[in-house]
Amino acid sequence: MAEQFYTVASDSENTGDDKVQSAFPDLAIGIDIGTSKCSVAIWNGTQVELLRNPRNQKLMRSYVMFKDDSPSGGVSEELAHGEQEIFSGSAVFNMKRLVGRVDTDPVVHASKTLPFLVQTLDIGVRPFIAALVNNVWRSTTPEEVLAIFLVELKAMAEVQLKRRIRTAILTIPVSFSRFQKTRIERACAMAGLHVLRLMPEPTSVALLYAQQQQLSLHENMGSGIEKVALIFNMGAGYCDVAITATAGGVSQIKALLGCTMGGEDILQNVLCHLLPNFDTFCADHSMDKIKSMGLLRIATQDAIHKLSSQPSVIINVDLGDGNKVCKTLNRSEFEEVNSKLFEKCEKLIMQCLVDAKFTAEDINDVILVGGCSNILKIRSLVLGLCKRENLYEGIDLLEAAVCGAALEGAVASGISDPSGSLDLLTIQATPLSLGIRADGDGFAAIINRNTAIPARKDMLFTTAHDNQMEALIVVYEGEGKKVEENHLLGYFKITGIPPAPKGTAEISVCMDIDASDVLRVLAGVVLPGTQNAVSPFIEVRMPTLGDGHGWCAQALAKMYGSSLDLATIPKKLQQ
Amino acid sequence: MSSWRKLWVSGLSLLCRRYHLPPDLHLGLRSARVLMCSLPRPFTSCSGHHRPFPESRVFGRFCFSSESSNGRCWNCGAAAALAEPFLSCRACGSVQPVDQSVDYFQIFGLEKGYDIQDDNLEGKYKDWQKKLHPDLVHLKSEKEKTFAANQSARVNDAYRTISKSLSRAVYLMRLEGVHVDEEKTVMDLDLLSEMMEIREAVEEASDSHALRQLQSQIKRKFEAWSNSFLEAFKRKDFDDAINSIQRMRYYDRAIEEIIKKL
Repeated sequence: MAEQFYTVASDSENTGDDKVQSAFPDLAIGIDIGTSKCSVAIWNGTQVELLRNPRNQKLMRSYVMFKDDSPSGGVSEELAHGEQEIFSGSAVFNMKRLVGRVDTDPVVHASKTLPFLVQTLDIGVRPFIAALVNNVWRSTTPEEVLAIFLVELKAMAEVQLKRRIRTAILTIPVSFSRFQKTRIERACAMAGLHVLRLMPEPTSVALLYAQQQQLSLHENMGSGIEKVALIFNMGAGYCDVAITATAGGVSQIKALLGCTMGGEDILQNVLCHLLPNFDTFCADHSMDKIKSMGLLRIATQDAIHKLSSQPSVIINVDLGDGNKVCKTLNRSEFEEVNSKLFEKCEKLIMQCLVDAKFTAEDINDVILVGGCSNILKIRSLVLGLCKRENLYEGIDLLEAAVCGAALEGAVASGISDPSGSLDLLTIQATPLSLGIRADGDGFAAIINRNTAIPARKDMLFTTAHDNQMEALIVVYEGEGKKVEENHLLGYFKITGIPPAPKGTAEISVCMDIDASDVLRVLAGVVLPGTQNAVSPFIEVRMPTLGDGHGWCAQALAKMYGSSLDLATIPKKLQQ
Repeated sequence: MSSWRKLWVSGLSLLCRRYHLPPDLHLGLRSARVLMCSLPRPFTSCSGHHRPFPESRVFGRFCFSSESSNGRCWNCGAAAALAEPFLSCRACGSVQPVDQSVDYFQIFGLEKGYDIQDDNLEGKYKDWQKKLHPDLVHLKSEKEKTFAANQSARVNDAYRTISKSLSRAVYLMRLEGVHVDEEKTVMDLDLLSEMMEIREAVEEASDSHALRQLQSQIKRKFEAWSNSFLEAFKRKDFDDAINSIQRMRYYDRAIEEIIKKL
């Protein structure tokens, strides 16, 4: 198996002498594997330290170059690949946007304008991704690309720390489905890394904030009053909002919300504005077109960056074949082009406040992180909604997430610090509701979103037909009222329901999320009247689905129709 | 009442599964059920799995009946401090197995009652999590990790239940052995027509100012019924108390609707 190769590579001998005594032999590192940039950090005994690559960079571009026989992420190479080379079709990047998605997903479709090959058949399977190697499109997968990159990050950390790295905390977007999380874990396993925890990015920032509050408290000898912070994080691929209430080093996540929207979308909006036929311009993936598109991407990216500090910018790119883009883009035009995206940001923040049951007046600090936080419009809209003049200072917008992950790594590895700066805890909340299919295509949430974890809740269901002997427990994740709007996680069958008129049998479904965010579903028949569980309950760890999961729900419907349906028991709905 | 009994049974069946015991274990059930009417119980240690659970939503993953704490830490044997619930050991810091006889009010050192006077509930909640959260016992034994997972989940539920007046009222009734069927339709025509009016008013409200006004109006009504629950509960008039809870539920929903629109 191709995957095996990476596991072996990770055990390479560059770890040096394994007998070197390390102060923290099993300390987990923090990794922020961003859509555009990656970083690694670790607790060095007194504070969090970001590791640098041989080019002295703390933030490394996330891509894998497939040009030569052995693919390389360029983490530890002396010379970096140029942007033009990265946009030549030989490099694969933006994998965080593609991982764990099927080819019917609009995010996958939007990625078809990238210089490497993204092919979709629109049938609900993993998209075909390929990089140009010696003038041939060679296929790969998002997991494989992530694994190659993780192997390099791991090797870099091992060389610097002079010990083997086995465990890591990774930050992920809030909106990642449980299936996407398993794909990240898969990539880590391929790279020989055990994932101790996958932390939603804003909650990782919240932990760093909690530590800073705790430290300033020690200095000022103040009382342990609670502080509420709103964290807005927008990177290249994703946008997240979280509200945390912090006191005594404990950060409690009150609400969190996210969506797939980031710098990449802003870039594509501007590209569309500059080149109206942008969507189809590169459809044939000819070398010339890829090259011109690469040039345009570089120029546009640069222009967007400049608009944060200057009111207008000139974009001038020769696309060949007589096509030319020469345009002055001013800030208001840029904001107009992205107005829908900014509106969506506002909605996300307002919804998060409602979910946390807070108003703008309750917020003590507003924290802005992620690359897009440099965009002036984003700053002003977040501050405006929170009715604030200034942002919280003392958090680096690009390094905050990885620092929080390194802190969590130290806390979860059981490291304690005499000065009390690791006296920390994050109480995480579920970002998406979890439930099962009931009442036809309805989604019955058992654990609502923003429930503190660990959590365990159960709910009673009943049969939909007379003398129904079996029932399907189909588990979904999401906020839609109908199951098809949500992510399918898995299913199993409850058998041995004693024959009875519909609506009388009782089936207990219990969902359990432990502190490591592992979801288990337990279900079984409970007989009303006799009080006995009919047969042993079934416990299933979710998600159970592999690739092509888009098909499973349809296959189930085709096979069983509504014959194994469940219904909610209205009067016994939980509080 | 009946629903949590069932849940308790489902908890018990889990327990059988954990121990790989045949379902015959349920034999002990009928006698145990009698116990349920004698809630609440004094604050003593868990005497095994025959003790009914005062709350339905969280049931023990498993309970080491042989490890009943007897007021002593399972790890170092230190005696529990009598002043506070024994969730973790003061001497060695070990997380203790869940003791279902400690109710949610006891966890937070509160008098069992509706009108709790505490502005530091969140602080106490966080203090518990700092002692119990599974993240912090990462290097300890599997057994203690399980205790931590159960305790932490229970404290989460306790905080959620106690911090909101409506769920606190329902929980109090449950401790009294009364199951509140919150979803039951109230057959009070006045209330139903009032609800219709509120719904219309929310739909027609033109701006956030009007909505806020409506919100504060309904909040006052919620408060009024909350007070009437308090009185009814004090004189143990449970029918009246249930009636108040159902009305609180209606107004609570209406407030949620308004917040959604705001």
